[in-house]
Amino acid sequence: MSQDKIDMLQRALAREKAARKQAEKILENKAAELYEAKRKLEKSYSELEALLNKTDSQLQGVFENIVDAYVIMDLWGNILKMNNAAVDLLGFTDASENGNLMDMVHPTDLELVAETFKNLLSEGSVTDSNFKIVTKQKIEKLVHVNASIIYDEGQPVAAQGIVRDITEINSLQIQKEKLLEKLEKSNNELQEYAHIVSHDLKSPLRSIDALVNWIKEDNLEKLDDTSIQNFNLIETTLEKMEQLISDVLMYSSVGSESLEKQTVDLDALIKELKNILFVPDHVSINVLQPLPKIEGEKVKLQQLFQNLISNAIKFIDKDVGLVEIDVKDIGTHYEFSIKDNGIGIEEKFHEKIFKIFHALNKSKDSTGIGLSIVKKIVDLHEGHIWLESKPNMGTTFFFTLKK
Amino acid sequence: MINIRETMNTLNILLIEDDMIEVMKLNRTISKLELPHNIVEANNGEEALKILQKKDELPDIILLDLNMPKLNGIEFLNILKKDDVLKYIPTIILTTSNNQKDLLECYRIGIAGYVLKPLKYEDYVSKIETLLGYWSINELKQI
Amino acid sequence: MKGIVFTEFLDLVEDKFGLEVLDKILTQSDLESGGVYTSVGTYSFSEMLQLLQHLSAHTSISIDDLLLVYAEHFFGVIEESYPGLLATYKDPIEMLSSIENHIHVEVRKIYPDAELPTFEVVEKTQDTLVMIYKSSRAMHHFGLGLMNKTFEHFNSKASIVLEKLNEDGTEVKFLINKN
Repeated sequence: MSQDKIDMLQRALAREKAARKQAEKILENKAAELYEAKRKLEKSYSELEALLNKTDSQLQGVFENIVDAYVIMDLWGNILKMNNAAVDLLGFTDASENGNLMDMVHPTDLELVAETFKNLLSEGSVTDSNFKIVTKQKIEKLVHVNASIIYDEGQPVAAQGIVRDITEINSLQIQKEKLLEKLEKSNNELQEYAHIVSHDLKSPLRSIDALVNWIKEDNLEKLDDTSIQNFNLIETTLEKMEQLISDVLMYSSVGSESLEKQTVDLDALIKELKNILFVPDHVSINVLQPLPKIEGEKVKLQQLFQNLISNAIKFIDKDVGLVEIDVKDIGTHYEFSIKDNGIGIEEKFHEKIFKIFHALNKSKDSTGIGLSIVKKIVDLHEGHIWLESKPNMGTTFFFTLKK
Repeated sequence: MINIRETMNTLNILLIEDDMIEVMKLNRTISKLELPHNIVEANNGEEALKILQKKDELPDIILLDLNMPKLNGIEFLNILKKDDVLKYIPTIILTTSNNQKDLLECYRIGIAGYVLKPLKYEDYVSKIETLLGYWSINELKQI
Repeated sequence: MKGIVFTEFLDLVEDKFGLEVLDKILTQSDLESGGVYTSVGTYSFSEMLQLLQHLSAHTSISIDDLLLVYAEHFFGVIEESYPGLLATYKDPIEMLSSIENHIHVEVRKIYPDAELPTFEVVEKTQDTLVMIYKSSRAMHHFGLGLMNKTFEHFNSKASIVLEKLNEDGTEVKFLINKN
């Protein structure tokens, strides 16, 4: 081999060696770079972790301080996490205790809860589910639960729920229902009682009337005019007494016999009333504009208008009597007015007249109960009643009725 | 022209009423109107049931008061309407009670009328006249 | 310039012209690296230029032709080392038109500091492609060689016309017509 060739080969070899070393050096540097990069990554990872922990502890605070019991459980009901309120509610001693919510369901409600759990899994959430549980301390409680599924990458992994103890609320509710039931019963009894009393009071009146009549009949020739007149007065008094009993019965009936509400066409109602009521020739009843239809009890609304209109007619002392019925839409209610040009009412009586037995004019056909009944009916329809009046000019009764 | 009076049947009426004066009222009304009807009186439901045991002397119609001691009107009506023979006797309630509950209950069990006793005697007389007039022109079950 | 371009070039010279020629052009050139190259290193482009010039002088083959041949060799390196990259394409026109948007992006992942030419697509149909090459290195024939091999790889043929847009060849238009 020539020297040249040997030299050349040696050069080539030297180049290869140098290249290898260079490559090794480069790789060393790369390794150092990688290490540095790794160190930096680790640093930022720990920073991220710290940040995460901070947020987590903030959440932890919310979790702990939430007033309602909050429970996270797996899809089989095993409790994974709960806050202090949940510990108290479920009767645990501390939050680290293991437990399964399904095991705590009251035997009578197992089926209901199983159904609820099925809905939770299929719908993703359930709201306002009520059922009974038996706590670790063997106390029965009624709870209200809102729950939802926690997903991880689309897959359900756990469930979380807010649990409220409604045992007391519920017992109050039951108590309230019982009281209402009792009230209704005693109302009905009272109603019965009123009917019986009114019967028992009316029977003697009827007998007296019959007996007076017979005495009058049998002794017609023997009695003088004064006696006959006195007998007639007895009859009138009896009539008034009977009316009074009827009115008291009626007053006690308003509000107790609550019938179902229906749509009442007040225009039609007034038209009917005009036929029923005795309207003297010199009095005219005008409806100023079409009256609305309202939700209410027809019989009572009829009673209301009848009492006010007949009252208006009764106290008209002018040659041309006028009764005007008007209405105004005031939003949630209608405001009605019934105006007359009668004798009027002094202002000092405006409050009093709605009180029972406060008839201003003691007359044969006024027992002083009519306006009390009117007020009671207006109250029943969530309205108010008041009046404006000037003696000798007339009176306007205003009242509102809920639409 | 037919004289209604002459075509009228004579009715045997069972009045079930505890109030003595009410009984007197009906009797006096019938004699005042000169009606030919016969009145049998029972002071309460029990007494009435005893009278009704005599199946050969059953009344044509019954006038029944509701408020009575012992067996009251509605209880009596229930027993009456369960009896295969007595249930055919038209029973008219004669009462002071305008309680809708009573009225509905009576019609539910089965009555032939419900008449309110008016306060005034004259009104009573005219109501009874109309009532009996109506039943006396009715064809009634022959027992 | 990336070391792999040097190492592959030296391999090719040794392979085609012998170790003597390689030794000669290395000794003749004034090389900062002393002719020592490793594929993971980075070296000055002027060294490649000197090597090409001396090889051209020694073999009487133009630099362009040398680059053409080198490119054809280099394509083989790509085929061998990065078969996955080529497999993403079914058509040579598609592959060439995405040099800028795909291939060079991939290159940069491995060699972040690589100085790459730009290939701007001016016109493209199913069978034709017009691209503008821009690089201070004026190694358009290297590009041409790679293009030829690309068509060969897909068992296809094309006539590629190269049109210099300036004298030094740093801007060149490639007119490619698939046959």
